[in-house]
Parts: sequence; C-alpha cells; structure tokens
Amino acid sequence: MRNLLDFLLKYNYFLLFVLLEVICFILLFRFNSYQGSVFFTSANAVAGKVCELSSGIARYWGLEEVNRRLTARNVELELEVEALRRAVDGYAQDSTVARHLLDRAYDNYHVYPARVVNNSIARLNNYMTLDKGSDDGIRPEMGVVCGNGVVGIIYMTGPHHSIVLPVLNPKSSISCKIRRTEYFGFLKWEGGNPQYAYVKDMPRHSEFMLGDTIVTSGHSAVFPEGIPVGTVDDMVDSHDGLSYLLRVKLFTDFARLTDVMVITSVRKEERTSLEDRVEF
Amino acid sequence: MQKFQRIRWFVFLVLVQVLVLNYVHINHYATPLFYIYFILKVDSDIGRKNLMLWAFALGLCVDVFSNTPGMNAAASVLLAFCRPLLLRSQILRGSPDVFEPGIRAMGFSHFLRYAFIGTLVHVGMLDVLDAFSFVHMRALLFAVVSDVLMTLFCIVCVELVRRRK
Repeated sequence: MRNLLDFLLKYNYFLLFVLLEVICFILLFRFNSYQGSVFFTSANAVAGKVCELSSGIARYWGLEEVNRRLTARNVELELEVEALRRAVDGYAQDSTVARHLLDRAYDNYHVYPARVVNNSIARLNNYMTLDKGSDDGIRPEMGVVCGNGVVGIIYMTGPHHSIVLPVLNPKSSISCKIRRTEYFGFLKWEGGNPQYAYVKDMPRHSEFMLGDTIVTSGHSAVFPEGIPVGTVDDMVDSHDGLSYLLRVKLFTDFARLTDVMVITSVRKEERTSLEDRVEF
Repeated sequence: MQKFQRIRWFVFLVLVQVLVLNYVHINHYATPLFYIYFILKVDSDIGRKNLMLWAFALGLCVDVFSNTPGMNAAASVLLAFCRPLLLRSQILRGSPDVFEPGIRAMGFSHFLRYAFIGTLVHVGMLDVLDAFSFVHMRALLFAVVSDVLMTLFCIVCVELVRRRK
C-alpha cells in the first residue's frame, strides 16, 4: 500500500495527464450524444459575440456580390410569380378562391430570418452558428433554409445563438424526393467535396434522369414540401445492390452562406405528438 | 517568457487561430494549427503539470470557437505531456539549464526536429479524433501530412522572423 502511494506521488504528473485527457473525452462524447452542452460551443455568449463581430467585418467584403445575386434571384422570382398568377387565374373561375389558396400555402409556417456568424465546411463534422437563439423563438429541430435551398436543422440553442447541423454533417439526414416523379429517399453527406451529397435508398424501380431536381419531401415535420435541394449529377448502385445511390449537386453554396431563414410548421407539435403515439 | 507576456501571447494566438487560420484550407486539407507555438515556446523550466494545465486551457479556448469541445484540448495536453521528453532528446550538452526553446537557443536542425515531432504528435492525435475511424486511411494520412507541413511552415517562418529582431 505504501509503495503504491509512493508510486502515485512520484508520478502525479501522469495522473494529471490522464485526468485532463478524460475531461477532454467526456466533453467530446457529451457534445456528440447529449444536446444540452451548449456552454462549450460557439453558441455561448462570449464566443458568439466574438464570432458575430468578426463575421460583421467579413460580411462587408461580399456585399456587392450578395446584392447582385439577390437582384438576380428577385427578378427570377418576380417572373415566376407572374407566371403562376396567370396559371392560377386560368384555372379558377372565382378569383377569391385563388387568393384563398395562395394565402393558405404560407399560413402554416413561421419564418425567422437569421445570420450565419460562424461556419465550417472543410471538416468531417461541420457545424454552423446563427445569431438567433431561444429568446428569439428558435427551438431545436427547426429547419434552416436559404434563398437557394435547404441548409440544415437546428441542433441546439443558447439564449441568443444557435447551432445548426447542416447538410454537410454525416449526422444529418433529410427526407427528400425527385420533383418530377415523386420517388423519395434521404439525403446524406459523407465528407469530401462540400458541393455534393448523396440520396440513399432510392428504389430500383424509380424513374429519374440526370439533371432532375431533388426537393424536400415534406414527410418529416421539419421542412415543408418542395424546398429545392439540388440536381441529380450521377448515379451508382448502393453497396447492398438493393437501391440506387444518387449523387446530388447541392444548390446551396455553403462556403459563402450569410443570410438564412429558420422555418417551422405551426402544426408541428400536433403532428409529432401524433407520430410519437404510433408504436414502432 | 514573463507571466504577463505569456497571457498576451495566449490571447493573441487563440484569436489568430479561430478567426483566421481555422479558415485556411488548400483543397479541404492543410489547415495550419499554429496555436501550438505557445506550447513549444514556453521556457524549459516550467513544470510538467503547469504546462499541461496551460495547454488544456489553450486547446479548450480554440475548441469553444470551432465547435469541437475536447478535441484540440486532448491533443494539446498530449503534446504538453510529451514536450519534456522531446526537449531532452534534442538538447545540446553545453546548453544552459533554463532557456526558451527556439532556433537561437537550440540551433536550426535541432529546433526543426523538435518542432516536427511535436507537431506530428499534436496533429496526429487531433486528426485521429476528428475522423474517429481508420476506415478512410488514405484521407486520414493525407490530412495528417498536409496539416503537419503547413503548421511546421508557419512555425519556422515566425521563428526565423522573430530571431532576426
């Protein structure tokens, strides 16, 4: 016993080393499994503020480009609205019916604008920090979209900042479908190029062509149906040979993301509680 | 290094790492992890435990900003644990007891060897923790090699510039 104590006292730096490493690993594993550890991430108050300051400075350099893209997008949407309005007018005899339909399409969703203050795309497990948190009404598992397409899902929230699990994280999995033929699979990213992700579990008998648009399916309560994801770029057989694996070129350019929208369904709680009651 | 100067270096290196260097990539590889310069440069008479605590705090600060709680801290503590061994293996016989590791005190080739092994230990640990599997072995090796070269390049450049002053 005495020898043991002597040994421990002599090599106490080794004990400290083991202790510190154990703390590190606890932090690492807790962050990956338990969603409450917001304190040690960039969503805590001090780190969030510093990130906000730095991205505020960096944002100015890209304003011209952002403006140009916004204008282009605006014109595009303007034309689309015009075309849709004409189409709707053609179908409905009564214009109030058409207006009622249009209004109802957006009634079911709340949208919160937010800014990206911290972002990473080069690691395997990427995360993104937004400048809105639980005080602004953001809750975990809300969807995040940008002007071009889907971005990710809220992972955890601090009072004024929140962390997004973007598509560019192997933990993220988003239900999506081919817009033309309605066959659905789920979207996964497995490291590598941040412009490409994969749609898995596409059935063997599904019909698609290279260049088809992939949109969210609306099967989960997180995203509404029809938010653009990307275009089919390439296809291969899955590893087990039972389904297709589609390579998708993402519409969202994660490397230059600044403004996003957090979107949530008004009836989400009702829907998830209903789905939870079903025993699997 | 005096205490006050050490804290100034600490804050400076954390800010440079999280605001600038974390966003430096060449084709998604080769990120400089320059903040370990702090651990490599602390005076040789610092206690092992003291240095490990400094390294833990440094790694955790970098972690907090890059959403990787524990990863950089674990790698930094390992580096701090190994540092006395490395330093002893690269030390010259006639050198004084207390010195600041650097090109001036150790000579270029000894310092380069010291910095290379230190960086390799740190980056190896960090990239293995990041990937957390050996499935994509080639990508992991490539990441380690490119990160080590980039980090070493930064350390040697800064060291050469500071020596001239």
